[in-house]
Amino acid sequence: MRWDNTTLFVDDDPADRAFRAEVRDWVAAHVPTELCSRSTRIDPPELKPWHRQLHERGWIAPHWPKEFGGMGATLTQQIILFEEISRVGAPTPYPHGLNFIGPLIIEVGTPAQKEKHLPPILTGETTWCQGYSEVGAGSDLASLQARAVLDGDHFVVNGHKVWTTNGHFADWMFALLRTDPDAKPKHAGISMLLIDLKSPGVTVRPIETIKGDAEFAEEFFVDVRVPRENLLGPLNEGWRVANKLLGSERFTTGHPRNAAVLLNKAREVAELTGTSRAPGFLQKLASLEIDLLAFSAYYRHAASLHGRGRAPASMAPVIKIVGGELGQRASELLVEAAGPFGPQVDDLGIGNHAVNPAAEMFEMRRVTVGSGAVEIQRNIIAKRVLGLPS
Amino acid sequence: MELVLNEQQALLAETAERLAAASGGPQRARAVRDAGRDFDAEAWREVVRAGWLGTVIAERNGGLGLGLFDLALTLEQAGRRILMAPLAEAAAAAWVLSRAGTDAAGRTLAGLLDGARLIVPATRPSAWGLGGGLRDGSAAALGGVVPFVPFAASAHAFLLATDEIVCLVDRTTPGVAVETKTQVDGATVSTVRCADVVPAAVLARGAAAQDLTRALREFLVLAAAAELLGLAAGAHEITLDYIKLRQQFGKPIGSFQVLQHRAVDGFIDIELNRSLLYRVAAAFDAGTYHSAMVSAVKARTSRCALAVTRAALQMHGAVGYTDSHDIGLYYKRALALAARYGGELEHTARFSDLTLA
Repeated sequence: MRWDNTTLFVDDDPADRAFRAEVRDWVAAHVPTELCSRSTRIDPPELKPWHRQLHERGWIAPHWPKEFGGMGATLTQQIILFEEISRVGAPTPYPHGLNFIGPLIIEVGTPAQKEKHLPPILTGETTWCQGYSEVGAGSDLASLQARAVLDGDHFVVNGHKVWTTNGHFADWMFALLRTDPDAKPKHAGISMLLIDLKSPGVTVRPIETIKGDAEFAEEFFVDVRVPRENLLGPLNEGWRVANKLLGSERFTTGHPRNAAVLLNKAREVAELTGTSRAPGFLQKLASLEIDLLAFSAYYRHAASLHGRGRAPASMAPVIKIVGGELGQRASELLVEAAGPFGPQVDDLGIGNHAVNPAAEMFEMRRVTVGSGAVEIQRNIIAKRVLGLPS
Repeated sequence: MELVLNEQQALLAETAERLAAASGGPQRARAVRDAGRDFDAEAWREVVRAGWLGTVIAERNGGLGLGLFDLALTLEQAGRRILMAPLAEAAAAAWVLSRAGTDAAGRTLAGLLDGARLIVPATRPSAWGLGGGLRDGSAAALGGVVPFVPFAASAHAFLLATDEIVCLVDRTTPGVAVETKTQVDGATVSTVRCADVVPAAVLARGAAAQDLTRALREFLVLAAAAELLGLAAGAHEITLDYIKLRQQFGKPIGSFQVLQHRAVDGFIDIELNRSLLYRVAAAFDAGTYHSAMVSAVKARTSRCALAVTRAALQMHGAVGYTDSHDIGLYYKRALALAARYGGELEHTARFSDLTLA
C-alpha cells in the first residue's frame, strides 16, 4: 500500500468505494484547471460555472433531501465528494447557501421560503452570506445589538454586521437580530431574518484581510424594511434555529484534507528550497502527518456515528479545534519550508503551479477564530462534555 | 466517542471493563511492585479464564476468531485500571502460534491458552534499540541476545522471532540466560541471552519467518499502544474527578479556565488517539494497512500518554508528588509502556522513513 495522505483509509463500504471512483473519474474529466491550486482567492462570481457543472451532474447538494433537489446522500458520500473535489486542488462551493441556510430553510422554513430560496441556491444563482458577528458581539455572540422591530407587515432593521464572508458579493443575508431587547437570558430575544441585500438602506463595505484580499465585508442597516414572511422559524427563537446547524457543517469546514494539502505543499516547497534536508523539518513533518492521520481517523469515526444519529456533543467543537489548529500548524510549516522565500509577496513557482506560503498561512489564521474561537470551543467541551464546574 | 461495535464486541468491552475494575486497580499494582513480582498472578488467572487471549485465535484452534481490534478493547480496559498482566505479550505469542499451523505450535498454544504456561515473544525490531538481534549459530543451535523482553523473568518459554527464524525456546534449555531489570512501575524487562541453544520447535524459517516476525512486531506495537491509551484515559478520569472536588480560593479548581482547557486538551488528545488506534487495528485485521500507520499509533500514543499523565501530575499539585497517591503510578506506568517496543522518537523516525521514501 502506497502512502497517500489525501486518502489515508480505505472506504469500508463497497458502495462508497464505487462512488469514490465515479466521482474521481468525473472530476478528472471536468475540473476547471484554471481554478485549481490557486494562491489567490476565488470570489463567488468566478466560481459560478463550476457550481453549475456540479449542479447539472446532480452533486451540488448531496446532503439535501431528494425532494428539494439534493441527493439524500449519506454523510460518508458527502465527505467523499468533498474529498475528491479538493483532492485535485479544485475549489469546493462556498458553504453559506448550500450547507448553512439551505438546510435551515429545509428544516424550519415555510413552503414559500423553500420555493423561493432553495432552487437558486442549487443552481448557484444566488450568493448568501451569514450576518451574525458585530463589533461588540464576537465570541459573546448573544450580546448582538442589531435590531429588528416589527412594524405592520415588515420588520425594520437597524444596526451593523461585520466579518461577513462574501458580504460584498451576496444577494441575501441570513441574519441574527435582536427582536426582544428585554429578554432574559439575552439569547432568548433573538430572531433569524432573511434579508435581501439590495433593499434600500443597506450599505456594504468590503474589508481587506491580513492576507490582502477582500474576503469579508461589513454591512450597515438604516431603517431597512424586511417583509415579515422573511422571518425564519418562530419569533425570538433565532438562537435555537441557528444552533441546529452546528454539527454537520463542521464536516466540510473542518475537513482533515485542508491540512493534508498544505503538508504536501510544504513537502514540495522544501524540496525546492533544500529545507527538506534539515532534520528539524523532517521531524516536524512526520509529527504533523501523524497528527493528521489521527484526525482523519477521528473524522471518519465521527462521521460514522453521525450517520447513525449518535454523534457525541464533543464532536463539533473537537473537529473545529483540531481541524483549525492542525491546518494552521501545517501552513506554518509551509512558510518555514520556504526558508528565505517564506515572507515574499509573490507566488513561488513549482513546476506548472504556484504556491504562496505566506498567503496560505495568513488565510489559516481565520480558522481558529471564525465561527467560534477555539477557546470558546474548549469552554463548551469543559462545561458540556467534561462537566467541569463554573 | 463510543466505538462502533457489533454485539459480540460490545459484550467483550463490557466484560473487560468489569473484570479490570474487579481484578485491577492501582492498589493491587502497587502491591505487586512492592512484592517484587512483575505481574499480578491472580488477575492473570482471571484474564485467562475470561478467554481474552482467544480473541485473536482462530476458532479451529480453540479461540474466538476475532482480531487485534477486539483484543485492544480488553487491553484498553486493562491499561485503564493498571491491571498488571502479560496480556499483550501472551496474546501476541498465541497469535503467532495460531498462524504457524504446526503440530508443535498447536500443543504449545493449548498450554498458553489454558494458563498452564506463559510464553512471551522475544524479538528485536530494528526500529527500536540498537543493532544486534538473534543469529543462527549453526543449523541446529541459536546464539545471540535479545534485550528488553517484558515478562521474561516469569515466562516458561520464549517465542524467539527474527528475520531468519521463528522458534520456541524453553527457559530451562541449556544455554539460555535471563538477566532482569525492574522498571519504575514495577514491571520488568530482561535481556535474554542464547548460547548454542537448541530450540524446542522451529515454527518458520526464511521468508516465512521474516513475514511472521514483521507481523508479530506490529502486533506488539499496537497491543502496547492499546494498553497505554487505556492508561492515559484512566489517568485523565482520575484527574477530572480530582479537580472537580479539590477546593482552593473557595471553589473547585476545575472551575478555573486554565485547568479546564488543560483538561480539554487531554480529552481531545485521547479521543483522537482512540479513533486512530481502533481504525489502524481494524485495518491490521483486514490486512489493508500501511506499516507507517502502526508506527504512527505508537509514536502518538506514547506522546499522548506522557503528556496526559504529566498534566495529571501537575493538576494534582503536591499530592501528585507522593508515592502513595495513585496518579504517580499512572505516570510511571506511562513511562514504561511508552518506551516499550519503541517510543515517540523511534516510531516517528520509522514513520518518516516509511512515508518519505
